[in-house]
Amino acid sequence: MNTRILDSAKAILSLQKAFLAIILVVLAMALFNLIPSTRTEFFSQLNLVDLLKSNSIFMILAMGETVVLIAGGVDLSIGGMMALSGVVVILLINAGVPIPVAIALCLLLGLAIGAINAFISVYQRAEPFIITLGMGIALTGIGQQLTNAYPVTSTNPDFQNIANLQVLGPIPILVVVMLVVLAGVHWTLRSTSFGRNVYAVGGDYEVAKYSGINVLRTKASTYLISSVTAALGGVMLASQLNSASSIAGDNTALYVVVAVVVGGTSVAGGIGGAIKSATGLVLLGILTNAFNMLRIDSLVSYLPTALLGIIIVSILWLDSYGRKRRREAV
Amino acid sequence: MSAATQPLGGRVTTQTIINAIKNNPIVVAIALLVIVTSFVEPKFLTGDNFDNIVRQFGTLIFAALGMTFVIMAGFIDLSIGGIISLVAVVTVTLIDPIGQGPAILVGVAVGLGCGLLNGALILTSGALTQAEALFITYGMSLVYGAVALMYVQGVTQFLTYSKTDTSLFDAINSGGVGILSVSAIMFLISLAILYVIQRRTYIGRAVVLTGGNKIAARLAGIPISRSIVLIYAISGMLSAIGAVVLVSRVTLADPTMGTPYMTQAILAVVVGGTALIGGRGSVIWTVVGTLLLILLNNSLNLLGVSSYVQFMLRGVILILAIWLDTAKQASVGR
Repeated sequence: MNTRILDSAKAILSLQKAFLAIILVVLAMALFNLIPSTRTEFFSQLNLVDLLKSNSIFMILAMGETVVLIAGGVDLSIGGMMALSGVVVILLINAGVPIPVAIALCLLLGLAIGAINAFISVYQRAEPFIITLGMGIALTGIGQQLTNAYPVTSTNPDFQNIANLQVLGPIPILVVVMLVVLAGVHWTLRSTSFGRNVYAVGGDYEVAKYSGINVLRTKASTYLISSVTAALGGVMLASQLNSASSIAGDNTALYVVVAVVVGGTSVAGGIGGAIKSATGLVLLGILTNAFNMLRIDSLVSYLPTALLGIIIVSILWLDSYGRKRRREAV
Repeated sequence: MSAATQPLGGRVTTQTIINAIKNNPIVVAIALLVIVTSFVEPKFLTGDNFDNIVRQFGTLIFAALGMTFVIMAGFIDLSIGGIISLVAVVTVTLIDPIGQGPAILVGVAVGLGCGLLNGALILTSGALTQAEALFITYGMSLVYGAVALMYVQGVTQFLTYSKTDTSLFDAINSGGVGILSVSAIMFLISLAILYVIQRRTYIGRAVVLTGGNKIAARLAGIPISRSIVLIYAISGMLSAIGAVVLVSRVTLADPTMGTPYMTQAILAVVVGGTALIGGRGSVIWTVVGTLLLILLNNSLNLLGVSSYVQFMLRGVILILAIWLDTAKQASVGR
């Protein structure tokens, strides 16, 4: 009986560190609220809605990245893709292209870039980490060339409604889109044969191949998905801010991948899920928000970034260490 | 043993040179561009421009040399940007309190310390894949960068504001023996040491074997743990030396100045033909890669290509370098 409790406690600890960490952060904030001098607006509706809004774009990107990571790849071009897509959608709209057409063209652009990533890193078997890193740099460069590295602003006032129109009380469309993408990816991974194949390919490529799965096509599709979600994220970001910058995605890709990995999706492939990734992203978002609310940077400026880095390293260290223990146990 | 596994190894014959060209199409392409530029733009071959190229070479080459060892062992170090920033601000702020010589030594020690910390984290976590190292060192880059920002409160530190002697920095920047500048001498010494470690020592071979196949290396009794600590220590320390050279050149220390060096160092190593999956490569080729990258930037600048297109080309070259390398490996039947 005792060992069972111990085992299940161990299982919880090893599975969902990010989830536990979120609970700890929320509890800590609740405790801080009991003390008048450290009382914050963390639980106010305004802050919670803001937390949702400011993390929705990352969440959309993280969903695509999750699929790639589960299939055993990695896509670091999503930051560049997001920035370029935002720039392109605004340039198209300013050139008089109808908004739906402009958005469709951006998603097609995402598809095309995803196809290039997939061709080189899946069919040609080149190292996806560097291929997509290079693609991200190239896309950022294209965005800079298109805009002369200046931010561009939409001249069509309707465009910002795409993300900002409030549909459910204070909740804007952006959040709804994010939830739809989250649910869509969760459903695809859990309930479709494609989703099963993605796990199989990431888990053991050779076994998947000999089981008759079209491994190349499955893996290639994951790059298309992550590029399209990144393009969608770029459109939503441009709409949310009503402007776009070619360098908006500079640190996005690594942040998103790290968030996904912190959530428990394995970089080695085969393990993970939409909900896990969402947990990781929420953890990093909620931590940043809590640090802001507690005004930690007024104690020592830039301390929040250092703490975030330490927390990321700790969680990843624990993950690797867990794998090492399992390896040695076998 | 083919030229692919042993660049610049053994006797240099016509055949090895032809093989080297066949195996490094990117190198040939950039070399062609440089030759074309020198004909089209007479400014290219002037002493001023040469000086310019040598200066740009300074910081990047140290970071890239360190990165070569890390990548050869099948790992990666994304924290060098943070280390360069941290070492730069530590060094400059310490000049007044403890003097310039000790300040530089402490700076290099900080770099070495960061490298050892990276190595310890990777080692104790039991990380065996490049991906695991990638994320852990990325987290550490956030930490080092934030510590640099916290240390100087985000304020740029100017070398010229120092009240005490900063002649060492001037010497590193512009002094020298004959045609060799001090930073060039530092570079040659580092290169010689690294080359000897790579080619002539047991631990150097262990690093390359670690990159080949970690499980096999472990079973064969290769000291993987020592290799891991060594590569990250070397990477941290060389980044620190690069930071000192950078500070000497630009005469200031900014807490975010190291950021661009992370991608550029990887680019230089990869263009030099060190396989990203590890197990193959050479510090000599990294020197070639770094030089070509800088010559490329320089040529494009002189030809009047916009900096945004240059930025884009950097990505395209990265993709092409890896793609061609993969195709080559596939054709020799790895």
